[in-house]
Amino acid sequence: MTPLNHPGADPFYFLGHDGSVARLVKDFPWGTTCLSRVETWPQSLKTATALLIHSPVPMVMLWGEQGVMIYNDAYSVFAGHRHPALLGSNVREGWPEVAEFNDNVMKVGLAGQTLAYQDQELTLHRKGYLEQVWMNLDYSPVLDESGRPAGVIAVVIETTERVLAERRNRQEFQRLQSLFAQAPTFMAMVSGPDHRFTMVNPEYNKLIGNRDVIGMPVREALPEVTEQGFFDLLDHVFTTGEAITRTSLRVLLRWRDQGPLEERFVDFVFQPIRDQDGTVAHIFVQGSDVTERVRAENHQRLLINELNHRVKNSLAAVQSIVTQTLRHATDTSQASQAITARIMALSAAHNVLTQENWDSADLRTLAQTAIHPFQAPDRQTFDLDGPDMRVGPYAAISIALALHELGTNAVKYGALSVPGGTVLLRWNVSGKSVFNLEWIETGGPLVTKGDHRGFGSRLILQVLPDQLQGKAELDFRPTGIVFKLTAAVDAISDHAA
Amino acid sequence: MARILIVEDEILIAMLLEDIVTDLGHDPVGPMMRLQTALDAAEREAIDFAILDINLAGQQSFPVADRLMRRGIPFIFASGYGQAGLAEAYSTIPVLQKPYDAAQIARAIPADSTGHSR
Repeated sequence: MTPLNHPGADPFYFLGHDGSVARLVKDFPWGTTCLSRVETWPQSLKTATALLIHSPVPMVMLWGEQGVMIYNDAYSVFAGHRHPALLGSNVREGWPEVAEFNDNVMKVGLAGQTLAYQDQELTLHRKGYLEQVWMNLDYSPVLDESGRPAGVIAVVIETTERVLAERRNRQEFQRLQSLFAQAPTFMAMVSGPDHRFTMVNPEYNKLIGNRDVIGMPVREALPEVTEQGFFDLLDHVFTTGEAITRTSLRVLLRWRDQGPLEERFVDFVFQPIRDQDGTVAHIFVQGSDVTERVRAENHQRLLINELNHRVKNSLAAVQSIVTQTLRHATDTSQASQAITARIMALSAAHNVLTQENWDSADLRTLAQTAIHPFQAPDRQTFDLDGPDMRVGPYAAISIALALHELGTNAVKYGALSVPGGTVLLRWNVSGKSVFNLEWIETGGPLVTKGDHRGFGSRLILQVLPDQLQGKAELDFRPTGIVFKLTAAVDAISDHAA
Repeated sequence: MARILIVEDEILIAMLLEDIVTDLGHDPVGPMMRLQTALDAAEREAIDFAILDINLAGQQSFPVADRLMRRGIPFIFASGYGQAGLAEAYSTIPVLQKPYDAAQIARAIPADSTGHSR
């Protein structure tokens, strides 16, 4: 072993180092290169060589026009099978696959300029095959005694592993993103204590009205949601690390600036995502917009309630028919017939309304249905005359019941009790707001005033005009009875008076 | 004998209720079958008690209830919906589900309401 730092004995004393490359440097026949024998080396070359030999960072010096290579132990690892033949070679020949790149390095460096590359991609042959590598490369000129650039020194940090890892992460992220993008549910990732959006998928975008929220804290991105307590839920997940799940939760979203609040219902989970040391760093938001389902359920509940209401009302109406018919009945078989006929009349009116969704009924259809049981089979007994008009559901039932009572009376005692008798039913609207309906019997026997307290009389003369905010009168003419009803058009349409 | 306001929009049920009230020995006011006439009656008529159908030709009878409450007149709701469909403010008001009978109406009328309006 050569004693160190002994100028007399060893021309390589300046290296002050005996690592493996240092020994190679000492043994190398520098006389065969343009550097010539070490004894002739300028001090600048010696100093620079010692500097790089001592460095733990991979470094290489390219000396002279040819770029003769001197490097350290760390660089020898990087050089792979190229080492040790690489030592003392001209850089363009030593790395023929990147000769062009190094040619530029030499030109720039020897002109006194520096060069820096981050994650520079190169294809190198150093393990017996061509491989793609990435490096951070920093080149600076080395000045000789006269102050002119005589070589280029390079710090070579290989970043291949990091670049590939990042690339894998990016690919993984993109794969997840494409999964998220195709997901039928909404997904978003919020990060940090202020819940900043770092990812949203198209379904989430749709939910929030396509607002650009990436990079924004939830509080700023969706201010209306913050007011509804969602921010507190996120805070809870972030601080406790407990996931939160909600179903059919109502949320009001402002899809457009200054626009109205849109009501949506959502099922969702806020899932905490922990980093390596176990603290919550992100919250994954995932869920479904179930607005249509919730509305359908609400609608169904409404329909069931409405149906129940109708059923109960119908039962009460039947109860009323039965009670009042029996109250005035003298014999049970007649009462039974009357009850059945009245229930049938009510049912027929319901049918007309059901066809129209219980919205309103066409008066002519309603009247035709009501008089149908009293129509003689062999001749035209009714004449209907009036404009097309619609009546509200409550008025419709009352009018149908009134026509039933009038028809029953006509068949029993009036015009329809004899052959040749007829009924003219006519209606019109006079002025703008007065509805008139007339039931005019002709060709029947002389009818006298009967029991005014019966169910029929009470219905057509008292309750009906009360309901329709009008007047009703029954006229016993020699030609037959005439019933006249005048009412407010608004009341006929069930519009608020 | 009490004066009892009847608010009911279905013609048959209105007649039935009028009969029930009369049979119980009371004096029916109405039946009022629309919101406006019911409101007028609740404001002006001398009444001891009221039976209100909740739904009046598509409108709710709550404004009538408010007037009765202001006047301190006791009342009940009658509805095909039962207790459902009742706003929070009226949760203490009894609701009689249709169909009902005379005994239920009789029980709903407070014994001491009789004749106060006279």
